[in-house]
Amino acid sequence: MSDVVISAADLCVTVQSKQILKNVSFSARKGEVLALLGGNGAGKSTTVKTFLGLMTPSSGSALLAGVDVSKSPDIVRQKVAYLPESVMLYSHLSAIENIRYFLSLAGKPQTDDAISAALQRVALQESAWHSLLGGYSKGMRQKTAIALALLREAPILFLDEPTSGLDPVAIDEFNRLVSQLAGQGATVLMVTHDVYGACHVANRIGLLRDGEIVGMFDAPAQGNIDSEAVHSAFTQGVKA
Amino acid sequence: MSNSLLTIAYDEWRYWRRSSLAQTVLIIALVLASASVWVTYADVSHTAQQRTHMQDEAETTFESQPDRHPHRMVHYGHYLFRAPPPLGTLDPGIDAFTGNAIFLEGHRQNGATFADQKQSSGLTWLSKLTPAFVMQVLTPLLIIVLGFGVVTREREAGTLDFLKVQGVSPLLLIAGKGVALAGAGLLVLMPLVIGAVMALLDGAGVLPVAGFIVSYLLYLAIWCGLVLLISTLANSNSASFSGLISVWIVLCLIVPRIATNTASVLVASPGKLETDFAVLKRLRSMGDGHNASDPAFTALKNNLLAQYNVDSVEELPINFRGIVAQKSEADLTNVLNEFAEQQMQQQTDQADIARAFGWLSPVLAIQNASMKLAGTDLENYHRFLREAEDTRFDFVQSLNKLHAEGMTMQQDANKYTSLEAKKAATVSADNWQILNNFHFTPLSPQQRFSNSVAAMGQLLFAGAWVLGGLIVAGRRV
Repeated sequence: MSDVVISAADLCVTVQSKQILKNVSFSARKGEVLALLGGNGAGKSTTVKTFLGLMTPSSGSALLAGVDVSKSPDIVRQKVAYLPESVMLYSHLSAIENIRYFLSLAGKPQTDDAISAALQRVALQESAWHSLLGGYSKGMRQKTAIALALLREAPILFLDEPTSGLDPVAIDEFNRLVSQLAGQGATVLMVTHDVYGACHVANRIGLLRDGEIVGMFDAPAQGNIDSEAVHSAFTQGVKA
Repeated sequence: MSNSLLTIAYDEWRYWRRSSLAQTVLIIALVLASASVWVTYADVSHTAQQRTHMQDEAETTFESQPDRHPHRMVHYGHYLFRAPPPLGTLDPGIDAFTGNAIFLEGHRQNGATFADQKQSSGLTWLSKLTPAFVMQVLTPLLIIVLGFGVVTREREAGTLDFLKVQGVSPLLLIAGKGVALAGAGLLVLMPLVIGAVMALLDGAGVLPVAGFIVSYLLYLAIWCGLVLLISTLANSNSASFSGLISVWIVLCLIVPRIATNTASVLVASPGKLETDFAVLKRLRSMGDGHNASDPAFTALKNNLLAQYNVDSVEELPINFRGIVAQKSEADLTNVLNEFAEQQMQQQTDQADIARAFGWLSPVLAIQNASMKLAGTDLENYHRFLREAEDTRFDFVQSLNKLHAEGMTMQQDANKYTSLEAKKAATVSADNWQILNNFHFTPLSPQQRFSNSVAAMGQLLFAGAWVLGGLIVAGRRV
């Protein structure tokens, strides 16, 4: 049995007669971190939204654990945790209330101790746990969303610009968390334009430009992907 | 009910608790509903007591009149008062416009028999802040302000997609928001429910009270559904709000106005002046009941002379003038009743047309259901007019009978010749005990309930449309 968890095959997405994704194909195996790198408008977020069932492919397929997302979005969503670029949590709730609410709706309620542990793990200061999110900075909201994603204990993680708004210390901590989750068997698809962060954490990097995969970089057996090579391909627009 | 549904509903309430706008709206709604129930209950109860007191006083005043000529008492007249039905404290209906007192006298039908149907709905009831008005018109507005953003807020904040990723189906989300809105509607409805229970204790009947509460529940559920539907279809909070306000204006203001205007156009109803002239024209052709020599009564005279085998009316053992008064009153009443029935039929036809618009506007449907259940609708008013007219006729004819049998024609004809003659042409004050204790009773609870079934059907129809729309819209989110 194949251990491919995330798979795109000739995936095309068209929005209002504009083709956003053009025959995109990639896959990620269990425990792998796949980063899709690309500039603004490359189609990164569209890729993630398609895998989440929020957008419908015009052709090709997006499979999660062998299940076609467009046909059974509700089934695959049970296996997915999602960290959006712009954190979509409720301003009228505190961090703890937000987490409790979303976990309850996802059918995965957690104890207060588990929620506290997750918030400590993402280094959100304890004094803010019971404050309304309306008063949070972007980084604090991001940490709350990361804690929620951790608590979902989902085997598949979709991360859309996950380190946006985080300070360098928090970015390091986040990258460490992602590696840790992958080590525990989670499969991660991360879209970002942070070349160095991606090279630090990902096993594979796909370079996305104008809706097409224009390059794929694999990590060596030991160490990280060569960030200079990726950066060069990313900035110069040269196919790898 | 699933846990997720309740979780979503609970969170919506938590949002309202933390929103000063929502808190203000809920407080205003509760205060308005409570105050309208309290004030109208106190007002109607006071008026009811006053009417009972005035009815007693009118009867006492009539019965304490001295010995008099009976026809003077016919013109002295008598008042009838109608006590409001128990549910009338919540929905005074058309009673507020038609009045509840009628002056009974000979040869005339007084009261607002020819009231214009146009006054029974439309903008005129804005002037009265009754519980029915608050529930029918203002509460939907408050539900709109409270709930216009229930779904668009999620859409604008991006949480709608995030919720979907958590496995929350749009239909579940909409249902949860619906439960929250329904809870708010229930809260605002509570004063009306308490008022209805008080009306039940006052004898309103179980069926009408249950129907009353269920109708308003259904009505508010329809508005909650409409708010959810527009909020689901709209792309932004502002679009949702403006769309809902437009719907409110159409359903609460425009359609009722169109309904009454259409009814007036399709069933033309002559004005009071026009009707009065037509009645007068008919009456003039019938002879003057005050003039026993009027040729119109020649046949009556000849019949009586033949019956008693006498040659002149002076030889009759009864007062021919009284007989003429009786005959004249009976003929006149037939004509008046004919016109009154014609007018009532026109009003009923107009009301039926206006009620048909209840298929388009739940506001008209709840107005009809509410008034019918409360016993304050047009049919109950017509029933009061008919009962009052029966009472008037019996009252006048009792006095006319005294006129015919209590004195001779000679005594009657000579009453202005001297004081003694005047005294001889009177009857004893003991005869004034002719008034029966008038007590109007509206249609029975069962009849009121069955009369309201059509309007409740209109509410169910609107509810089904909204529910269907919600399911379709929810699947497209």
